[in-house]
Amino acid sequence: MLPRTHALTRRAFSLLALGAAAWGSASLPTLAAPAEVRITHSMTGGAQKEAFDAIVAAFEAAHPDIKIKQIVYDDDLYSDTGLITQLKSSSPPEIYFQWAGAPTQRDAREGFAMDLSEALGAEGWKDSFIAPAFSQQMGVLNDGKPYLVPITLDVTNVIWYNKQIFKEAGIAPPANWAELIDLTKKLAGKGETPFVIGNQELWPLGNWASHIASRVVPPADYEAAFRLEKPFNTPDFEKALNLVDEIRLAGGFNKDIAGLGADPAMSTFFQGAAAMHPIGSWLVSSAAELAEKDFDYDEFNTPLIDPAHPLKDSVIGTLTGFAVSPKSRNPQQAITFLRFFTSPENQVKWAEAGSFSPVKGAMEKAKLDPKTKAMADLLNSAGSLVPPPDTTYPVEVAEAYYQAAAYVAGGEKSPKDALVWLDDRVKTMK
Amino acid sequence: MTRGALRVSNSTGATGAIRAGATGLIFVAPALVLYAAFVLWPLASSVYYSMTDWDGISQARWIGFANFERAFADKIHLASYLHVTLYILGTLVFEVSFGLFMAVLLNSDRPGFALLRALFFSPVVLSMSAAGVLWTFVFDYRTGIINASLKGIGLADWAQPWLSQPTTALLCVMLVSGWKFAGLYMILFFAALRRIPRHLYEAARLEGAGPVWSFFNITLPLLKQNVLVAVLLAVTGGFAGFDLFFTMTNGQPYNSTEVPATWIMKQAFDNDQLGYGIALTVILTGVVCLISLIYLRYAERSHVVEY
Amino acid sequence: MSSNTDARPRTPGEWLQFGAGSVIVTVMCFPAIWMVYSAFKSNREIFRSPFGLPAEWRFENFTKAWIEGGLGALFLNTIIVTGLGVAMSVFFASMAAYAFTRLDFPGRRVLSRLFLVGLLLPPPAVAIALFTQLSALGLINTLWALILTNGAWTIALTTYLLGGYFRSLKREMEEAALLEGANRFQIFWHVVTPLVKPAMITVAILNAINIWNELLFALLFISDDAKRTLPAGIVRFSGYHSTDYSLIFAALTITTIPIMIFYFICQRHVMRGLTAAVAE
Repeated sequence: MLPRTHALTRRAFSLLALGAAAWGSASLPTLAAPAEVRITHSMTGGAQKEAFDAIVAAFEAAHPDIKIKQIVYDDDLYSDTGLITQLKSSSPPEIYFQWAGAPTQRDAREGFAMDLSEALGAEGWKDSFIAPAFSQQMGVLNDGKPYLVPITLDVTNVIWYNKQIFKEAGIAPPANWAELIDLTKKLAGKGETPFVIGNQELWPLGNWASHIASRVVPPADYEAAFRLEKPFNTPDFEKALNLVDEIRLAGGFNKDIAGLGADPAMSTFFQGAAAMHPIGSWLVSSAAELAEKDFDYDEFNTPLIDPAHPLKDSVIGTLTGFAVSPKSRNPQQAITFLRFFTSPENQVKWAEAGSFSPVKGAMEKAKLDPKTKAMADLLNSAGSLVPPPDTTYPVEVAEAYYQAAAYVAGGEKSPKDALVWLDDRVKTMK
Repeated sequence: MTRGALRVSNSTGATGAIRAGATGLIFVAPALVLYAAFVLWPLASSVYYSMTDWDGISQARWIGFANFERAFADKIHLASYLHVTLYILGTLVFEVSFGLFMAVLLNSDRPGFALLRALFFSPVVLSMSAAGVLWTFVFDYRTGIINASLKGIGLADWAQPWLSQPTTALLCVMLVSGWKFAGLYMILFFAALRRIPRHLYEAARLEGAGPVWSFFNITLPLLKQNVLVAVLLAVTGGFAGFDLFFTMTNGQPYNSTEVPATWIMKQAFDNDQLGYGIALTVILTGVVCLISLIYLRYAERSHVVEY
Repeated sequence: MSSNTDARPRTPGEWLQFGAGSVIVTVMCFPAIWMVYSAFKSNREIFRSPFGLPAEWRFENFTKAWIEGGLGALFLNTIIVTGLGVAMSVFFASMAAYAFTRLDFPGRRVLSRLFLVGLLLPPPAVAIALFTQLSALGLINTLWALILTNGAWTIALTTYLLGGYFRSLKREMEEAALLEGANRFQIFWHVVTPLVKPAMITVAILNAINIWNELLFALLFISDDAKRTLPAGIVRFSGYHSTDYSLIFAALTITTIPIMIFYFICQRHVMRGLTAAVAE
């Protein structure tokens, strides 16, 4: 809601105006009329919306007894208030767009979202998705039961780099952490700014620092700490923050990291004023608007840190999907539509519109532009998916960890002190 | 500002109010309804929500004083009151004192001074967000004109990431606040200066007193009331401070510019803890009311405020 | 004050005074001047020579900012919110101030005290509760959310300032009208309102500037870009285009020039309006 808030606002949470629309559409269906399936989401335009409209049209042609009605809201609006008002109304829409993790789990608890175990279990529907989509940590499940049909995967953090600067410095994307530190030192020695991060809102570095921690800390301990069941001040978390500290000591971070906004940092990268910029996949869509035409960039994942760690080659990302309202009028027809929508053929169209489809084979078969293709390959090569803490665990705990990482990156506190501070900070949140 | 303006004579005689019965209520009703609906009611409902763990979506659950216990253990929250106190002290220097200085400096009937006063006042009418955005560019590490000037005069080493260091960020916000509001205090004091009889200064001059002596012995005592009003305004305005902090630093670096307003908004809207955020607003309301009451007590005694 | 002393030649002390004043004012105005002429430059020029005048005056920066920032819609929304908010608060407040100062009715003292609370309360103190209330009313993301809240938030001070003015007015005309059989509403509308017009204009300007510049409510209650007001729109726009200096400076210039022109045209009213709140 505040334009400057952290990842939360990006993940979109808005619902209010939707309420009005939901009430407005509560006219009584006549007996002969086709069953109406209302879908509320925040795709207001662009290639994704066009692809979605085309799939809807194809569905209506194939199912004359079902009529689809879309209720569309602007991203921020949808997530702030638009959705929740609809869900709370007496006649919620059949299908709504939602983020995996805490929002989906909340909807499951509140009875807004339907348990989809039965539907997904039938005819191998669930098996048509890539396996990590239904892994415990991705947040599609609540108490082991699925409440969301995943439709898109967004990468929360990769390291974008300026190809020109890399070429001039004679360096290539690193294969492991030590190489990353080496090339950071090399760039800093040449007077370049190796990384530009606009960490005023804490999530830009925070997302990356939690991805690093998820590769160092044993998964169970990592989760327990963010759920406040175990302390953060452990040798493993210290090791993770030490890695952040290594970058700082190598002269890696921009001097104004603590006060710079996320968008200014991205613009700085596009201007060629820094060699690397760790941020999510949305950079690609901003590049068209903010970067010069000859600006050449590419991306690599956080390099290998601990070869023995189970999540050593993970990608950090979030899933979004469609949930079904159990209290709506036509939930069965809604499921019919979602099956149609997630069929491999339709998912190829969906992928070609710029979405990372979690349906098996869709990304391979789709014709993609090179940047999207590279991102798809990155996802394919990932051994596992890790969600960012701010969509998965209590936001204030995630935020406190991000703050601890910010202290380390700014040289304000040692990793150890930052963790002591962090445990003290979360003490009041239990 | 709270001089008993709304209170009127109680007598109903020739100089008093006209008995109007219900008609009077009809006149007050529209204002009252609007004011009650969007000021008083939210204020009252805050007290209830401050004792819940409401996230804005699920059913609010009653948790008693837990939010308040948390608020008093929340070190960033407590620090935000320290920062706002420093900020208010800063505004007393950069807004009130500087405004007073400029009022004295620009107090002249000579041609040109009216224009200088008008220009000096002009930032007051600008929006805080425009001012914040503009000054963020002025302070920018890479391309801001402050660092560019320093480089230009051979002091490149002095160039700082002004808004990214805990040591300088709050000071920068104070300076911008001074830039924005000194004009308001200047005009306030200027109007008061005009009411001071000139012969007082002339008498002092004849006795050989310099302008500095006159300022401290004639001007300042006569402006006491205005100074007290200005201080109250700076204090209450300081607690309401949000816009500049939001546009310039958003509480960073390392929460060093976190003030109650920015922290409250983060708790409520970034972290989905509306109950906790509302509890913090209740504390803020309490603090502001307490300070105002103490001030009114003091001001009453020194006859600044009349009832 | 008379200005008949102006004819004397300036003394060295006066020259010093004028010189010092000019230097301070120039330094203070420089960021704004820098903003305006930088708006005509290209980004490359801004980075290469931050202080230099533009080699070529690029008016197209302004067209681009106007279109990309959707400034037209921002202006329109701000005008609607400010216009209705001011009208509402000044009209309602003048009625209330009239009743509080001229009429005796049950509950007058309690109600007038209640309005005092609004003078001290900082808006952040109820912003969250207000947000939830507006959500419940279905007003979030409508301009009404801003019109009603800004109207309500300015009403206390407006009532208070107008009350002060009412008390300074003589009552003879009202009493005469009363004797002629006019009712209270006729008196208010035909006798009192014309008399307090100057004060109403002053408070209207004060409220207009406050509402025009209001940021917190505008950020919280509106999330739809098409319904934003200028202060919130500018924050968002400058965040997104944050290193396109020329574009942001152009947008800032476009949005600040009208209010500056307004200020310099009715300087006296504006200064009086803004200081009335303090000085009274």
